[in-house]
Amino acid sequence: MRAAATRSAGLLAVLAAVGLLPWLSGRDPALTVLRARSAEQEPTREALDAVRRDLGLDAGPLALLGRWAAGLGRGDLGASWVSGTEVLPSVLAGLRVSLALMGAALAVALLLTVVLVVPVLVRGRASAGAGAAMLAAVPEFLLATAGLLVCGVWLGWLPTSGWAGPEHLVLPAVALGVPAGGLLGRLVADALPAVLDERWVELWRGAGVSRARIRAAALQRVLPPLVPQFGMVAVGLTGGAVAVETVFAVPGIGRTALGAAKSQDLPLLQGAVLALLLLGLLTGAAAALVRRRLLGPALRDASLALPAPRPVRTHPAVPGVLAAVLLTAIGWGLSRDPYTVRTAARLAPPSWAHPLGTDGLGRDVLARLGHGAAATVGTAAAVCLLSLAVSLALGFLPAVAAGAADIANALPPVIVGILVAAAAGPGTGGAALAVALVSWPPLAAHAAALVQEVRASAYLTAQRAIGAPPWWILTRHVLPSVAAPVARHALLRLPGIALALASLGFLGLGARPPAPEWGLLLDESRAYVERAPWAALAPAVALALLAGLAVSGASYAQRPRTGTKARTRRMSGVGA
Amino acid sequence: MSEPLLEVRDLVVRHGATTAVDHVSFSLAPGETLALNGPSGCGKSSTALAVLQLRRPDGGQVRFEGRELTTLTERELRPLRPRLQPVFQDPYGSLSPRQRIRDAVAEPLRLRGRRPTPGQVAALLERVGLDPSYGDRRPRELSGGQCQRVGIARALAGEPRLLVLDEPVSALDPSVRAGVLNLLADLRDERGLGYLFICHDRDVVRHFADRVVELREGRVTSEWRPRRSAAAPR
Repeated sequence: MRAAATRSAGLLAVLAAVGLLPWLSGRDPALTVLRARSAEQEPTREALDAVRRDLGLDAGPLALLGRWAAGLGRGDLGASWVSGTEVLPSVLAGLRVSLALMGAALAVALLLTVVLVVPVLVRGRASAGAGAAMLAAVPEFLLATAGLLVCGVWLGWLPTSGWAGPEHLVLPAVALGVPAGGLLGRLVADALPAVLDERWVELWRGAGVSRARIRAAALQRVLPPLVPQFGMVAVGLTGGAVAVETVFAVPGIGRTALGAAKSQDLPLLQGAVLALLLLGLLTGAAAALVRRRLLGPALRDASLALPAPRPVRTHPAVPGVLAAVLLTAIGWGLSRDPYTVRTAARLAPPSWAHPLGTDGLGRDVLARLGHGAAATVGTAAAVCLLSLAVSLALGFLPAVAAGAADIANALPPVIVGILVAAAAGPGTGGAALAVALVSWPPLAAHAAALVQEVRASAYLTAQRAIGAPPWWILTRHVLPSVAAPVARHALLRLPGIALALASLGFLGLGARPPAPEWGLLLDESRAYVERAPWAALAPAVALALLAGLAVSGASYAQRPRTGTKARTRRMSGVGA
Repeated sequence: MSEPLLEVRDLVVRHGATTAVDHVSFSLAPGETLALNGPSGCGKSSTALAVLQLRRPDGGQVRFEGRELTTLTERELRPLRPRLQPVFQDPYGSLSPRQRIRDAVAEPLRLRGRRPTPGQVAALLERVGLDPSYGDRRPRELSGGQCQRVGIARALAGEPRLLVLDEPVSALDPSVRAGVLNLLADLRDERGLGYLFICHDRDVVRHFADRVVELREGRVTSEWRPRRSAAAPR
């Protein structure tokens, strides 16, 4: 109940933040709007005041919010600041395109899920494992760029941009659907072996039921608890759509939102973000409904609790090798100069002087890669520390943490990034804030579980018995046993956080040029990808290695937790 | 007889609607071992926690060394706590799994701003029959009996007058039990400690206690003296 209350409070806060964007941004948009409307008009005070009055910016924040909410009730989203046209029709047009794209992406995801699950069903007890996890970890913007490069540019099979026919749908749908399919496929494939181990399978087999029917029944048993995951996948699709639509120039709602954020067209941004949030929420609600229908009211309790996505156990050498390759490239690159522009050596192919070639301004790609890593890792480390501090603080308030985590989980980092960029302007700080806002929930959940475990343990009573005051117990016993595992967890999330930062950089919401940020490198190299593919390939490969590191490293985050669990079990066994 | 070390009068402990301890009264002289005996669920452990003020009673008085504990605030209680120490049933659960044995034993001293020397800690460990080299280990690396000895050393560090022993040997192997009970008996004679000994095992109680209070469903049903102390001179 309390979690539900904090959840709706969180939702209202997000809505209010969207409604207050024009005020939150703090900067005067009058000049931007004036420039956008007529290039030749002089920015005199009278002209700017007229624009301000026109936009209603002279009223206070509450009046602004009230007017926006009232308009929302009438289905009026206001008019674009830049073009002056109504927002609602453009939002609806974008939504139509995005829905088609998401539908196709969902089809790709389901197809991939089937491909991943069939071997488990046929061969019995093995999981789809590392491959699926890697697919799920590859960010959409990277997949989209790779697809664009290979199928669009080199092979020339498919169009690379626009929205004119079904052939334009293929590449974006694949880029959007593959990570989602990897996630779903892995969930089903991980749950199936446990179901096939249940008693009834032996019984049915003994009674001579055919293998095909047993498998169908097992699938039927796995699906209901899985359906809510479709809601999560839908949330992921709304975030991924922004990147994919931008790469392929698809005129969908995600690209609309991004464009509006970049041009400070706040009414359009409000409408687009609202549509994206609604899309995520509605899909989640629909998934819950489907699950209820699948189970029937009487079966709800007996449903199979889906095991938490198991961390993929890769060979310990895998993260080591990935890290070594990355560190070598970064170290080499750091010793070189990333900023010197040599127009004579533009788009040079790899050579001894430039091991990874040069970019469009003749800058050394390897150097930019190395220096970009230092900046990205530094920012990611700061984000990690911030999330760690937040999660340790909120770990002591589990009810608040649960509700807030629900909201943060339902917001893709890209959409938060768009909102933060709209309020504070694009920049490294804003991107870091956006990623920090969504990266603390898993850490806070871990911290809350540990705090609960430590608080319940008998040795805290023993501490009180020797006369230890509360601060002594907190600083010497509770905090050390919580902070160390949560800090380790945070460290292992570093590559994932760096990826999220890179995706914001790629969309132009993070670091500004000429900073050598990885996402930005990939974005810049797209312009001349046909002439200098290596300039795009280098950051793409580096990001893929980072994704691999994120997955293989995350598996080691779980180890200490299972250790404590075994210990508690033993303790309670003794106490009973 | 001198003033009692511990005097409990009309103690009441409720868990929700059920009354776990229902107007229990007893007293304990310095150096005496009083056993609370009864089946599980009779309110023994609730009484122990209430005497220790680790769970505040819902009624009644607890006088320790002539001071009324139930009216003291948590802050006022803290300096008194080292003088009445518990030894719990679960030997592992009462020690922090992260702490080295040395630090666990030294903690009660550090709490009062002292800086225990390695020799002091070693002497405490030796007193409870542990080799001082165990100080480097953590609770997981010790047996249940050894951990219980560490718990006793920790209690002794506060120089207590009264130990509340809540089923101190129930979780241990029978072969280890006798050793721990002998240690407790030695300490009682050596330091004149009073023991409030919670135990469901009549045989153990008969050999160990001076006086036994029987509890049933939260009430005192009878009080008796084992033959050992009945034969002993007063």
